[in-house]
Amino acid sequence: MQLIRIAAGVCALAGAMAAGAPLAAQAAGERIRITGEIIDTWCYFSGVMGGPEAVVGSAHHTCALWCSAGGIPVGLLGEDGEVYMVLKIEGDDASAGGDTQLRLASHEITADGMLYRRDGLNYLVVAEVVADAGIVNHSHDDFGVTPGFAIPEPAE
Amino acid sequence: MRAFGALMAFGLGAGAMAAPALAHDGVVHGSAEEAARHAAAPPDGPTGRAGALPFALGGPFALTDQTGARRTQADPAGRMQLLFFGYANCPSICSAALPMMADIVDLMAERGVAAVPVMITVDPARDTVGSMGAPLKAIHPAFVGLTGTPEALAQARTAFGVQSEVVFTDPEHGDVFAHGSHVYLLDAAGTVLTLLPPILSAEHAADIALRYAPGDS
Repeated sequence: MQLIRIAAGVCALAGAMAAGAPLAAQAAGERIRITGEIIDTWCYFSGVMGGPEAVVGSAHHTCALWCSAGGIPVGLLGEDGEVYMVLKIEGDDASAGGDTQLRLASHEITADGMLYRRDGLNYLVVAEVVADAGIVNHSHDDFGVTPGFAIPEPAE
Repeated sequence: MRAFGALMAFGLGAGAMAAPALAHDGVVHGSAEEAARHAAAPPDGPTGRAGALPFALGGPFALTDQTGARRTQADPAGRMQLLFFGYANCPSICSAALPMMADIVDLMAERGVAAVPVMITVDPARDTVGSMGAPLKAIHPAFVGLTGTPEALAQARTAFGVQSEVVFTDPEHGDVFAHGSHVYLLDAAGTVLTLLPPILSAEHAADIALRYAPGDS
């Protein structure tokens, strides 16, 4: 329960959190509209919590909140299979942990924004979330909570 | 808080030790063998360095290192720089980013390119001139920790678009901060060359950084 309170506190307070986000885009970007899931990039790329199907969607939602609150940049896993590192979403100047990033964790969204391809990576500055379908990948049906310890045992 | 720290430490520490995953560095693979081949190969994407950073990022700052010496955005030894905003006892993203920076520096050194890891503190109350050297040195002997007045630190954060805030206070460990999580690659003069997301492998990040090494255009 203490963990849940902490997570809620982080969610509530993280609006002004860590940016690292280049905010004044100058040039060389490409305007795109893309649909995909907001994911936890650390667990997705590292594989330590399970395979790629297990660390997306509802199965990984709680851990995704933890990671975002802890500073892991969120990504958008596009329908094209590519991951777009999110530098900013709408008015939330954060790559992780901001109110918007936490609210949209594991959600399927359609984003309108600027794409910057650099060093073989995709960086996305989301100007507007034009659609939010919520959590549509019910991966917990297949994988349960991944990892299970993301949800703490109730205090006795 | 202990559980939070343990979760982050487990996940991040395990990640640092993991074999190539089926999804890594932006690519999903169908088999472990394919993932291993990709992990061993040069990263996808354009060869050579990217152009000028398409963001307004970076700028001058004047801070104090762990020895008490004044230091600006320029490295006095003329090395490339890996810059991160964090704090020496951070239980979350710093526990991944700071060791990653150390590994990148070592990998670059193996290829003959000198670079230095630099951390600007977001917790000047605990990261003082006298206190931050030891924990950073435990991560890498060349680590530079920077602190300063609230105004000077704010100027540095503003230059890099970094915000920092206390998200809660742990009764045992004190304030826990939310803060920026990207590593910035700077040249010796302090100009930002590119970003290095902390979720990359050190090998991949070093490959990117080396593209920007002087004389490697």
